[in-house]
Amino acid sequence: MFGSMLRSLNRNKILLLMVLPGALWFLCFSYLPLVGTIAAFKEYRFSRHGFLYSLIHSKNVGWDNFKFLFSTDAAWTITRNTLFYNIAFIVLGLVCSVGLAILLSELTNKKMAKVYQTGMFLPYFLSWVIVGYFAFSFLSMDRGLLNHILGYFGGGPLQWYSDPKYWPYILVFVYLWKSVGYSSVVYLASILGIDKSLYEAAMIDGASKLQQVRNITLPLLKPIVIIMTLLAVGKIFYADFGLFYQVPRDSGTLYSVTNVIDTYVYRGLKTTGEIGMSTAAGLYQSVVGFVLVIVSNFIVRKIDKDSALF
Amino acid sequence: MSKAKKKAGFALASVTALSLVLSACGGSGNSNEAAGSGDNSDKPVNLIWYTIGTPQKDVNKVMEEVSKYTKEKINATVTMKMIDWGDYSQKMQVLVSSGEPMDIIFTSAGGFDYVQNARKGAFLQIDDLLDKYGQGIKNAIDPSFLSGSKVDGHNYGIPANKELPQQWVWRFNKNVADKYNLDTSSVRSLESLEPLLKTVKENDPTITPFVMTKDFVPYVPYDYLITNMPLAVKLDSTDYKVIDILETDEMKQALKTMHKYYTAGYIAPEAATTGSTTDLERAGKWLLDMAQTQPLADNLWSASYGYPVVSTPASDPIITNTSVQGSIMAISANSEHPEKAMEFLNLLNTDPVLRNMVDSGIEGTHYEKIGDNRMKNLPESKNYDMPSYSLGNNMILYLNENDPDDKWEQFKKFNASGIPSPILGFNFDSTKVASEMAAVQNVKEQFWSSLMTGTVDPDTYLPKAIKQFKEAGLDKVIAEAQSQLDAWVAANKK
Amino acid sequence: MSNVQRKKRDFHRLTPGWNVAFNLIAGIFAFLCVFPFLFVVIISFTDEKTLASDGYRIIPAKWSLEAYRYVFQTGDLLLRSYGVTILVTAVGTIVSLVFISLYAYAISRKSFSYRRFFSLFAVFTMLFNGGMIPTYIVVTQLLHLKDSIWALILPLAVNAFYIMILRTFYVTSVPDAIIESGKIDGAGEFRIFVRLVLPLSLPGLATIGLFSTLGYWNDWFNALLYIDDPNKVPLQSMLMRIESSMQFLQQNSANSSLSLELLQSMPQDTARMAMVVLATVPIIFAYPFFQRYFVQGLTVGSVKE
Repeated sequence: MFGSMLRSLNRNKILLLMVLPGALWFLCFSYLPLVGTIAAFKEYRFSRHGFLYSLIHSKNVGWDNFKFLFSTDAAWTITRNTLFYNIAFIVLGLVCSVGLAILLSELTNKKMAKVYQTGMFLPYFLSWVIVGYFAFSFLSMDRGLLNHILGYFGGGPLQWYSDPKYWPYILVFVYLWKSVGYSSVVYLASILGIDKSLYEAAMIDGASKLQQVRNITLPLLKPIVIIMTLLAVGKIFYADFGLFYQVPRDSGTLYSVTNVIDTYVYRGLKTTGEIGMSTAAGLYQSVVGFVLVIVSNFIVRKIDKDSALF
Repeated sequence: MSKAKKKAGFALASVTALSLVLSACGGSGNSNEAAGSGDNSDKPVNLIWYTIGTPQKDVNKVMEEVSKYTKEKINATVTMKMIDWGDYSQKMQVLVSSGEPMDIIFTSAGGFDYVQNARKGAFLQIDDLLDKYGQGIKNAIDPSFLSGSKVDGHNYGIPANKELPQQWVWRFNKNVADKYNLDTSSVRSLESLEPLLKTVKENDPTITPFVMTKDFVPYVPYDYLITNMPLAVKLDSTDYKVIDILETDEMKQALKTMHKYYTAGYIAPEAATTGSTTDLERAGKWLLDMAQTQPLADNLWSASYGYPVVSTPASDPIITNTSVQGSIMAISANSEHPEKAMEFLNLLNTDPVLRNMVDSGIEGTHYEKIGDNRMKNLPESKNYDMPSYSLGNNMILYLNENDPDDKWEQFKKFNASGIPSPILGFNFDSTKVASEMAAVQNVKEQFWSSLMTGTVDPDTYLPKAIKQFKEAGLDKVIAEAQSQLDAWVAANKK
Repeated sequence: MSNVQRKKRDFHRLTPGWNVAFNLIAGIFAFLCVFPFLFVVIISFTDEKTLASDGYRIIPAKWSLEAYRYVFQTGDLLLRSYGVTILVTAVGTIVSLVFISLYAYAISRKSFSYRRFFSLFAVFTMLFNGGMIPTYIVVTQLLHLKDSIWALILPLAVNAFYIMILRTFYVTSVPDAIIESGKIDGAGEFRIFVRLVLPLSLPGLATIGLFSTLGYWNDWFNALLYIDDPNKVPLQSMLMRIESSMQFLQQNSANSSLSLELLQSMPQDTARMAMVVLATVPIIFAYPFFQRYFVQGLTVGSVKE
């Protein structure tokens, strides 16, 4: 038993050495700090003996720290919003960035393609605060560009920041605008890595452009699409705080469609600042994500073993 | 050949793997040296002082001078660490939690919250130290500061001696007010503003008559248990009853007026989401707003905007927990030298030489004296530009060039005029209702700004808000607050 | 070689009609992305007073260089933070490419017995984290990296997300047959990795390299936690400090003594926009740099030769 284990270690030793630096990093920066999650079950109090001592000697409160996530009607709203937006982001993000990648890879003028790509990256560099300013210069009731245009066509000025019905579209649009340029890079790189001889063969067989995309590009993109989707599923209970807080300018009347788990936790704890409760919220988001990843990975494994995460 | 390559590859992988381990061990040699030196009375102790503000270039240089002085006086040296405004609360939370060595911590209602963190054990309880080493402080600063900053009956920090009460005023852009011959001195209530707002709105539509950010709350004669949470106690209350501010007649009336003003166009349409109004102020396109005042505030405002600003009171000067806890210096719970820290705080709050050095830097470099207690900044002061309010007793600061001689007299008079709130010194402990508080906070954020700025009609929205507050558990929070308040009244009043 | 490639490309060219349509779509989207940034540039060159009275305008009534003059006042501090950012980005990208490419390669190999374990080991870290305080303690008290440039590099060096992407690139663009043929030639694992696998996965490596370059360039949070020394503060961190301080002052505007003293000392809108421009312009060129390697994705045949 022990001997076979040693033999197996020996057989894998080069590959084991290759994972070693990364594994040590994970140990240090990811696994060691996990001790902190104990705080989710504690009423954390400082002591002069450092964090670990304080953590262990703080009062146990069981599941109390989780209560605020479920206690009111808001719990339903924030869960629904977080899930709804993330599903929309995953699906539309995938369609748009794969589509964009294919489109860019097919452009005849490669110089222009490069210019477009570089341009599409710019939103990634603007912080949400700046994006928020910018959205406001469009949507502001009295000075906004959009209301000017509406006025020009005879439409009345709209109160964008107090009418929830537009915001699901606005938020999805802003998200796609900011992220598609970035995420399409992965797909573009994959497409460019595809063996050119496959296309040549298809063309000799008289396949049209569309058929080439459907029969060569998309099937070969499948593994990376599955991986990206699985990874996104793990984050499905996390929301991008800046998008949901800065862009709608924290407008109260919009909460029915803009309040998500992260903003709820932030607002709820901003004066009390209980470490235990914020840790509990994070743990809740992680556990749900983890379960979903395990389940979807299991399903993927059943269908196509090689595409699974693990 | 191939074997050598293989070995090289092996070695490379091992080296990268080891680099992490090595860097883990690398610095550990020097960490234990400093610890043992605490009790040696000959060697000066070094006090680490965390404070708020944009880090200044010359901090270390000035602290060297400060240390020379304090070493002579109390045998201690000082290291100051500044953390920028927006980062202060978050970073201090991490530093304190992780047991980073520190002795003196700036704390206030807005930056690394005083009451919360006192209760969580971040600060040392200083009742005894204050008696032993802090007699100077007790004489130098207004006693209301010390009594008002007690948490559960104990002192955890030294408030800065400055303006004590908070008083709201209506500020007027004098250029606009004069242009339309408006009488700004006779206004007081929210309702009394109407004719002024109306005149300006009718005559110049490019001016925003009533300027506010989303944090605006119309003044009502109540004191809030927690800033901007609906729990409040009436200022002239004798029964100490905690109520939901939204259900009071005064607030209902105020919200109605606000909505009237909003629909009349006196208030900017996006007020409920506006974070800053500096663009209007810079352009001078406004008539009035509400602000907290202090003596000589009109001069400061006028100087900073570049045009005259005048103000008229909108409330009485009230001494509240918030006004008392605006700036406090606490001693860290993990301080190695609490006595020295207290001695230092005592010196800082009583010794003009030290206090002014900390505030303005080195004489001859950053500032020069132009009178007995009057000074002038030199060009170098741009490398040491400190926020005075956060660094201790303001009343022993030298006067600036343009300050009137009786500046601090005016402050003392203002402080003496303050009326203590009935709940001054009572700090609500929300630990038992923490999850209700989180829910209530969210409801508050949802309705507060749009109601307070008049953006929505209180006839329809107020009942909705009240209902949602109840569903979030406000009644339970009020009941808890009431029982704590009753216990506090029984122990402290009579 | 390049001649042959050009010919191949001509061979599967779009029809002119589609080409125009595709250009139009890509062009419009690219414009939507560039426009806000152009706006930021315009605001940074707008006169502050004009901005206050007119609001954001595409063609402001009065231009001004004042914002840049204000930002460059800090002089050496700004240049230093450029230096820090460039150093951290360059070293960090190399370090993380080494860590990530090794790890991803090992777990991409079907013959690796611990493949599933180490995949899960990585993915798990994407989902769970211990929070800021324990991480701070590890970095400062275990690794002793406080105020060290490494505190800006190491915490971002490895990332399970990048590892899983790169693993997929290895699996899809390096056929097993190549690795087998390498083995038959007597090459060791490491040699196979360096000589055969890496050249074939250049687009993947370039993608990860690009992502980590951008990640390092944009990072401000680690500096907030670990760097006190003003000489080691990176550019984005300087910018974020100003932004969060502005928000703090706005939220505490009721505190009279505070707002009176400070509102004046905060930089104005135009200066902040100028900071954004200065912090973004250099990194825009990182993309074309990495882009080169996308097109160089070699065909399998050309490696075998």
